[in-house]
Amino acid sequence: MNSTPQTIGEYLDQLRAALAGADPAMIQDALYDAEEHLRSELADNPGMSEAELLAKISGSYGAPEEVAEIYRNQEVTVTRALRPPPRREPSSNPITRFFAVAGDPHAYAAMFYLLLSLATGIFYFTWAIAGIALSMAFALSLVGIPFLILFFGSVRMLSLLEGRIVEGMLGVRMPRRPPYADRDLPLGKRIVAMFTDPRSWSSLFYMLVMLPLGIIYFVLLVVSTAVPVALMAAPFAQAIWRLPVAQIGDIDFYAPAWTWPIEFVVGFLGLFVMLHVARGIGRMHGAVAKSLLVKIAA
Amino acid sequence: MSDTETHLKKFEKELAAGTVSLVLLAVLAAAREPLYGYQIAKRLEQEAGVLAGKQSALYPVLRNLSAAELLDTHVEPSVAGPPRRYYRITPLGRRVLREWIEAWTATRRSVDSIIKT
Repeated sequence: MNSTPQTIGEYLDQLRAALAGADPAMIQDALYDAEEHLRSELADNPGMSEAELLAKISGSYGAPEEVAEIYRNQEVTVTRALRPPPRREPSSNPITRFFAVAGDPHAYAAMFYLLLSLATGIFYFTWAIAGIALSMAFALSLVGIPFLILFFGSVRMLSLLEGRIVEGMLGVRMPRRPPYADRDLPLGKRIVAMFTDPRSWSSLFYMLVMLPLGIIYFVLLVVSTAVPVALMAAPFAQAIWRLPVAQIGDIDFYAPAWTWPIEFVVGFLGLFVMLHVARGIGRMHGAVAKSLLVKIAA
Repeated sequence: MSDTETHLKKFEKELAAGTVSLVLLAVLAAAREPLYGYQIAKRLEQEAGVLAGKQSALYPVLRNLSAAELLDTHVEPSVAGPPRRYYRITPLGRRVLREWIEAWTATRRSVDSIIKT
């Protein structure tokens, strides 16, 4: 059992400790809510000391352990509620499982995310590189420090935004509130904390990595969609317009008629493979985003 | 602590879980301007009763209601601390609230009549 916290900082530390092991995204939300409430209470009771106030708050808002318990329970209900329709048991039949991907909304959402990642990747990369370069250029001048601070702040906000996109499209729980900053520290210390927080740096790294990743994702998706579609279309193109399957130099290659059904079926199956690939990459990328954008420094 | 007390606590918790969304919507429907979490908690505190559970429980519910688009939400910076998140009821929220109130009244009426016998 913890002693009654004396300051808001201590209260939040105890809350963080009580939530240890829970989803980091949920911890971030819980800390944000608690701080908003505690600060409002403090502003509402100007005469009261912080220690008195916290004793009162343990009764109304809840002691850190109680709050942790409430959030844990809530997360269970919410996760349950957010997952309609109820998950069907994945079929044990591998063939059914292979085709079932076409009914999984996550597969399509992941497809869109992979397409989008080229655009966001270019944007993040440009933003990061421009920010780093300008920070270096300004470093020797008067605007150097303010610029660097603004830039780091923007990285943290973009990381929250990317988190929302990832949660929406890839279905990985991400924070819904910005990272919690200790308001008791003077502004200077808070700024230092932003630079010593490994998350700022890992977010910056994520923004840089998103360009190559975005390119790879985009190409993989486009190729794995285009090839099956081409395979399915080729027999028709050849039968109707006498278009060759391939053209090397002046020589046209035609597929013999008996291969047409095979081409079509292989292309058809290829579309499902593409959905599996998209969903797989989506899951993998969700894990990468979570570890780089939310992982809490122990 | 007597053993009836744990039963009471549990019952109160279940009652609160079922009604807190209704109460939050009602508070926001009655409010003229958007409210933030702390203000809502204070308004509920005045009425006390079963709903005087821990106020930290309100925040996740507010978030769920706004995810369900029954509430609109926006953030405003504040002098006192972190930016405050304000909530306002949406037209959909008002329609839902009307239905919830009907359901609540019906439930209360039947529970009352059973208890009286």
